Amino acid sequence: MSHRILIIDDEDDIREVAALSLETLAGWDVVVANSGAQGLVRAAECSPDAILLDVMMPGMDGPSTFRELRKNPITAGIPVLLLTAKVQANDQRRFADLGVQAVLFKPFDPMTLSAQIATALGWS
Amino acid sequence: MTDDLQPALSEALNTLWTKFLPELVSRVATLESASASLAAGDLSITQQGEANVAAHKLAGVLGTFGLTKGTVLAREAEIMYSSEDGTDPELAERLGAIAEELKAIVANRK
Repeated sequence: MSHRILIIDDEDDIREVAALSLETLAGWDVVVANSGAQGLVRAAECSPDAILLDVMMPGMDGPSTFRELRKNPITAGIPVLLLTAKVQANDQRRFADLGVQAVLFKPFDPMTLSAQIATALGWS
Repeated sequence: MTDDLQPALSEALNTLWTKFLPELVSRVATLESASASLAAGDLSITQQGEANVAAHKLAGVLGTFGLTKGTVLAREAEIMYSSEDGTDPELAERLGAIAEELKAIVANRK
């Protein structure tokens, strides 16, 4: 089954690798945004099935973007997976406490990223 | 998700590696420059911050291109640059060695 995923990440390389991986291996429709602010607009416009959201971004960071997504009735119900290079335990607890669907870690394996997302979201 | 698509993805990833190589080299150069400044005792707060960000980004991306050791080294540098002792000249030798090793890892990826 095809899904639409919104990737919000300020890093071009990560964004493009993730998009390539999800499009090529899973055949999902990928929409991208390079900032939290742009991500809020894209999320409302394209109604993705899930959002892959980077944590550390200039301006509006991932947690702030997540809170804004939850405030908007149009985007409040979209599952969000945080993507982070932070591996310290206190960071992980903080992210989990936000109420996101899952926390995925950088570096990710492009060969298994879609499977990780599907598992986290219960997509078969 | 089928296994027969993986070679196509690998090839496409190699194309992206080539595309982003200048940016990755630039991030490593930021670490080289910061460690040199640290060794000289004149690492500015701005430079420390830039090195921290460069290390963070390298840690996040190198493993994605199969360079797991690069991620481990960049993460070590990120932890050092983001610590309260991040401007301690005693860290310069290790941070310089990390930058040098990262440079080789990036240059030698097939």
